[in-house]
Amino acid sequence: MISNRCQAVARSRWLLPLFCLVLGGVVLLASWLGGQLVAGLYGLAVLAFFGLVVLLVGGRSETVRGLTTGRDERFAQIDLRATAVTGLVLITAVIVAWLVEIARGHSGNPYGWLGAVAGLSYIGAVAFFRWRG
Amino acid sequence: MAQGQLAEAMGVSRQTINSIENGRYTPSLPLAIALARYFGVTVEEMFDDQ
Repeated sequence: MISNRCQAVARSRWLLPLFCLVLGGVVLLASWLGGQLVAGLYGLAVLAFFGLVVLLVGGRSETVRGLTTGRDERFAQIDLRATAVTGLVLITAVIVAWLVEIARGHSGNPYGWLGAVAGLSYIGAVAFFRWRG
Repeated sequence: MAQGQLAEAMGVSRQTINSIENGRYTPSLPLAIALARYFGVTVEEMFDDQ
């Protein structure tokens, strides 16, 4: 019952636009607390616009549908590959930033910590999925 | 048969059926079996290139 309800929510075309709006609200709140209300309003506007585009284009674009309602096995595979590529790009950027910071005579943080978290996450994930079979 | 009808029967997108037809995507075993059953042939007959 709960699982079915979760699946229904996950397949809703409103999920990603609503997530964008909520994230925009959080950005606005954080910016307001940091004394940068205008930047927060800008962030909210950008995220709300993105959510609106997703909502309007979702019916026509397979890419947007795959991100929202229509995730079949092929798109799940595409999603997995895209996530792997994103992870590789991020790890590369973190390692490069870490090396640049060290070369500039700094400690390398927070990039060192981020790299460590990424490395440990990868090892943990490999161990977990190996255990799951 | 239209790709859309087959996609609906299989519970996947039309683009997925199109990708399988054009050899750009290899379906999972459950989907391959479902497709073969749908057309009343074996998986080998359905997907064997030769």
